[in-house]
Amino acid sequence: MTTFLQLMVNGLGKGAVFALLALGFVVIYKATEVVNFAHGSLVLFGGYLVLVTKDHIGWAAAAIIGILSAGLLALAVERLLLARSRHADPFSLALLTIGVDVIITEEIIRRLGVSVPFIGDAWDAKPIQLGGITLFRTHLVALLVATVLITAFFLASRYTNWGIAMRAQAENREAAALVGIRSSRVTASAWLLAGLLAGIAVLFIATQDFSGAGLSRGTHSIALAAFPAAILGGLDSTVGAIVGGVAVGLVDALSTYYVSFAFAKSAVFLVMLVVLVVRPAGLFGTRETTRV
Amino acid sequence: MSRLAWIPVGIVLLLLPLYLEAPWLKAGQYMMIGAVGAIGLTLLTGQAGQLSLAHGFFLLVGATSYTVLAGPKGDHLGLGLDPLISLVGAVAISALAGMAFAPVAGRVRGIYLGVASLSLVFLGLYLGQAAESLTGGTSTGRDPATFKLFGFPFSNEGDLVVAGVPIRGTERIWYLFLALLALAYWLARGAVRTRIGRAWRAVRDNEAAAAAMGVDVRRTKASVFAVSSAYAGLAGVMTVLWFDILKPDESEYGTYGVNTSIAFLAMVIIGGLGSVGGAVIGALVVFGLPQVLTLYSTDLGWFTGSVTPVLVSSFVYGAAIVLVVLFEPGGLAAVGPRVKHRIRELRS
Amino acid sequence: MKRLLAMTVALVLPLSLAACGTKGGAETNTGSADGVQTGVGVTDSQITLGVMADLSGPFKSLSTAITHGNELWVKDLNASGGVCGRQVKLEIVDHGYKAETAKTLYPQLEPKVLGFVQLTGSPIMAALGKDIETDKVTTTPASWSSELLGNPYVMIVGTTYDVEMIDGLSYLQKQGLLKDGDAVGHIYVDGEYGANGLRGSKYYAEQHNLKLSEVKITSTDTDLTNVVTGLKGKGVKAILLTTTPKQTGSAAAASKALGLNVPILGNNPSFDPALLQSPAASALNKLYIVASSVPYSADIPKAKEIAQKYQAAGYKEPPNAGVPYGYAVAEVWGSVLRKACDNKDLTRDGIHKAMQQTTSADTEGLVAALNFGSPGAPATRQVYVAQPDASVPGGTKYVQQLFEADQAKTYKAPHEQ
Repeated sequence: MTTFLQLMVNGLGKGAVFALLALGFVVIYKATEVVNFAHGSLVLFGGYLVLVTKDHIGWAAAAIIGILSAGLLALAVERLLLARSRHADPFSLALLTIGVDVIITEEIIRRLGVSVPFIGDAWDAKPIQLGGITLFRTHLVALLVATVLITAFFLASRYTNWGIAMRAQAENREAAALVGIRSSRVTASAWLLAGLLAGIAVLFIATQDFSGAGLSRGTHSIALAAFPAAILGGLDSTVGAIVGGVAVGLVDALSTYYVSFAFAKSAVFLVMLVVLVVRPAGLFGTRETTRV
Repeated sequence: MSRLAWIPVGIVLLLLPLYLEAPWLKAGQYMMIGAVGAIGLTLLTGQAGQLSLAHGFFLLVGATSYTVLAGPKGDHLGLGLDPLISLVGAVAISALAGMAFAPVAGRVRGIYLGVASLSLVFLGLYLGQAAESLTGGTSTGRDPATFKLFGFPFSNEGDLVVAGVPIRGTERIWYLFLALLALAYWLARGAVRTRIGRAWRAVRDNEAAAAAMGVDVRRTKASVFAVSSAYAGLAGVMTVLWFDILKPDESEYGTYGVNTSIAFLAMVIIGGLGSVGGAVIGALVVFGLPQVLTLYSTDLGWFTGSVTPVLVSSFVYGAAIVLVVLFEPGGLAAVGPRVKHRIRELRS
Repeated sequence: MKRLLAMTVALVLPLSLAACGTKGGAETNTGSADGVQTGVGVTDSQITLGVMADLSGPFKSLSTAITHGNELWVKDLNASGGVCGRQVKLEIVDHGYKAETAKTLYPQLEPKVLGFVQLTGSPIMAALGKDIETDKVTTTPASWSSELLGNPYVMIVGTTYDVEMIDGLSYLQKQGLLKDGDAVGHIYVDGEYGANGLRGSKYYAEQHNLKLSEVKITSTDTDLTNVVTGLKGKGVKAILLTTTPKQTGSAAAASKALGLNVPILGNNPSFDPALLQSPAASALNKLYIVASSVPYSADIPKAKEIAQKYQAAGYKEPPNAGVPYGYAVAEVWGSVLRKACDNKDLTRDGIHKAMQQTTSADTEGLVAALNFGSPGAPATRQVYVAQPDASVPGGTKYVQQLFEADQAKTYKAPHEQ
C-alpha cells in the first residue's frame, strides 16, 4: 500500500510538469492550429541560459532570464519564420518547426559539453518525509505552479479580450479578422506564452528529482513524452492538458511497477493510441468537422 | 528529367563500383536505403496526405521478417527460406503491418495521426527487445542470412573479377541495391501516374469530395499505408544487409527509432512532398551528407572539437526544411524546373 | 539525341580513361629488410594502430579520456625508441556513437591499421564484429562484456562485467552488508553491457540463494525514482547497477530520498566523477564501484606518473579513470607487439598469435595481470573496489585492493572452453 501511494505521488508530481508542457502545445494550437514540434528546443534553450548565467548572477535571477529568453525565442521563431510564410497551411508550418527544432537542439547539446547541468537549485534533492511517504519538493512546487498558471490561463481565455480574440480566431480566422481582431498579435502572444511556459517547465525538468539527468538530450525527449499528454487530452483543450499530463505521469509510474519499466515508455503511447481510436480528437478536444 | 537522360546516369551508377573504394560504396548504399524508404513515405505523406512518424517501425518489421524467414533454424526462430523469397516475404509482411494500422488512419487525422503513428515506434522498441527469439535481443543481435540470387552470393565468397577489379561483397551489394532502388522508383512513378495515384491525391485534397467522386476512402487509405510500409520494409531488409547484423535498438534513438522516422520525414519535405524524384534527392541530403562529410573529414581533418560532420549535417537538414517550407513548398524537386524556366525566360 | 550522346560520353569517358582496375586487390604480406614479416598497417619505419572513439556522442567523456591515455603511451613509447625498430602512430576517428557512421568509417580505416587499440560503443562493436573477424584485426573494445569473447580477435583488457558483479557481491557479503537469502534488485541497461552484468549477478544469486529482482531499462532513461520505489516495496537489501553514470546518480538519489539507504554496487562504467558535482553527490556514500583498472588518482607509482603526464600534456578535459585505462591498454598492446616482433611476424595473423602467447601482460598495477592464453575466458578475474570521494582528483578512492572471489574462480564465462 505504501508502495502504491508512493507511486501515485511520484506520478502526480511528474504529471504536473507534463501538464505544463502540454499547455505549451495547447496555447499555440488554440491560436493557430499549428503543432509546435520545436517545443523541446525551447525548453532546452531556456535551461541553457539558466545554466550559463546562474554562477554569475545567482539562481533566481538566472531562472527569470531563462524563462524570458525561452519566451523571446518562441516569439522570434514565430515573427521571423512562421509569420513570413503566410500562405503556408498549419500542416506545413508544423513541419517547419521540425527544422527549427533540429537546429536549436543540436547546437545546445553541442554547447553543453561536459558541464553538470542541474538547474532546479531552489527545490532539487530536498525531499520531505510525510508518514512513510516521500514528497519531492520539485514535484510540490511544480504542482503549485502548474495549478496557478493553468487556472490563470483558463480564466484569461474565458474572460479577457485577449482570450476572446484567441478563441474567435481559433473558430474562424476570416470572421475574426472582419470584426477587427488583429490576428498577428494573437498569434505572436500565443507563441510568447508557450515559450515562457517552456522556460518555466525546464526548471522542474532538469533536476535530480524529475529527470535525474539535468539538461541534456533527455530533456528534449521529455518534451516529446508530453506530446501524448497534449494529444490525449485534446490539442485545443486546457482541461485536456491537465488530464493528459496527469494521465501520462500516472500511467508511467504505475506501469513501471505493475508491468515493467521497459513497457512503461510504450504504455504511455499505447494508452494515447487507444484514446485516439475511440475519440479521434482526444478526450476533451473539439471534433474537426469535414468540409466539402 | 526526360527518359533518355537516365541513360548516362544509369551508366555512371553501374560503373562506379569499378572506381570507388569500399567506404564510398558503403556511403552510397546507405543513401539508396534512404531513397527507397523516402519514396515510400512520400507516397503516403505527400501523395495521400497521411502524416506518419512510424516509418522506423516498418523498417524494423521488414528487417526482422527477412532475418527470421531466411535465418537458419537454431537458437533463434528461423525458417531457412531462400533469401529472395524471404525478401519478398518481408516486404509483404511489412505491407500487411501497414494495412493493419490503416483503420487508425480512418479515424484519426492530420497531426493527430502523426503522433498516433509515433506509438508504433515505441511499440517496436519494446517488442524488439522483448521478442529475442525473433530479433536476437539487444545484447548480441542476430546475423542475417547472406543474400543470394539463384545461388549467387552477395558476399566476398567466390572470385569474380571485372576489368581487373575484384567484385566482392561491397560491390555486389551496390548492384543489388541499385536494382532494388530502380525497381522501387519505377513502380512508384507508375503508381503516381495512374488511377491509384489520382485516388491518393483525391483523398489528400478532400476526403468527402473524394468519396463523392466514387473513391473508396477507406480502401484507398489502406492501400497507401500498405504500399508505403512495403517500401519501408524493403529499406529495412536493405538495412540488415548493409549492417550485416539485425540489432534491435537499445533506446528510442537508434536505427529504427524516432530519429529515423523524423529523418525520413525530413527527406520527403526537403525533396518536395509527393515527388518521387524529390524523395531520392532528400535521401542524398539527409542520409548522404553525414556519411560523405565524415569520410572527407577523416581524410582532410576538416572538423575539430565539438563541430562534427554529424552535427553539421543536422544543421544543414534542419535549415533545408525551414527554407523549403518558407520559399519552395515544392521542395528541391521543384527547384530544377523553376531554374530551367527562368533561364528560358532570360534567353527569349 | 546528339546532346544526350555527348553527355553520356562526357560522363563515361573520364571514368574509363582513369584506367581499369584503379582499385587494388587484397594486400599481401611481405617480408621487410629486418627479416620481420609485415602486412597491413606496418611499414619499415612505422606501425599504425586504429582508434574508433566516441568523441562527440554520449560516451565522449570516457572515450576522450581513453584516447588521451592511448596518446600518452604512444608518446612515451616513441620517445624510448618505439617497438621493433618502428615508431607507432595512432589513426583516430570519431563515430559519435552512431553505428551507421562507424560502418562507413571502418572500411576507410581498416586498410591502414594493424589493429584497433580502442573501439568504443556496444552498438558499434555489434555492427563491426563480423568485419573484425573476417579481416582478422585484433581489437580492444572499450567494453568489458564477456559475450564479446566469442570473437577470437577481441582482446579485453581487464575483467568482464559478469565477473565484476560476482566479485562485488562477494565483497558486500564479506563486509557483512549482505547475507544469504536476501532480496536484491539489479537495474541494468538493456544490451550487451547490462545483460553481461546481469549474468554475473544471476550466477551469484543462485549460489547464495539471493532473491534477485531484475529491472531492465534503456540507456537513455535517466529517472529511476519509480524503479527504486518498486524495489523498496520488495524490501531489497542492496541495489546492483549496470547502468550509465546518470542512472547511478538517479538511483542513489532516489534511494536516499525514499529512505531506502541500502548499499549500491556498480560496474566500472556506472560511475563518472561528474556525479560528485550533481545534486546526487550527498547520496553517493553508499556506492561501491567494482573495476579491474585503477582509478585516476590511484596510489600506485605508475598511476601517479600518468596523472602527472596528463597534467603536463595540457588536455582541457577533466580526467577520469579512462586515462590510466587507455594507457594500460596501449601498454598491453606494446607487450603483444614486442612478442610479435620476437616471432618476426608483424602481420595480423602474427599479432593474433602473439596475443594468445601473452599470458602475463604487466601494466605495473594499472590493471591486474592479464592472461590472453585461454580463448573465450576473461583475461583476469581480479578487481578493485572503490568508493566515490570528492576530495581526490578522478573522484574515487580504494576500499579494497585487488582480489578475486572464490565464486569468480568457478564461474564459467559464456564463450569459455
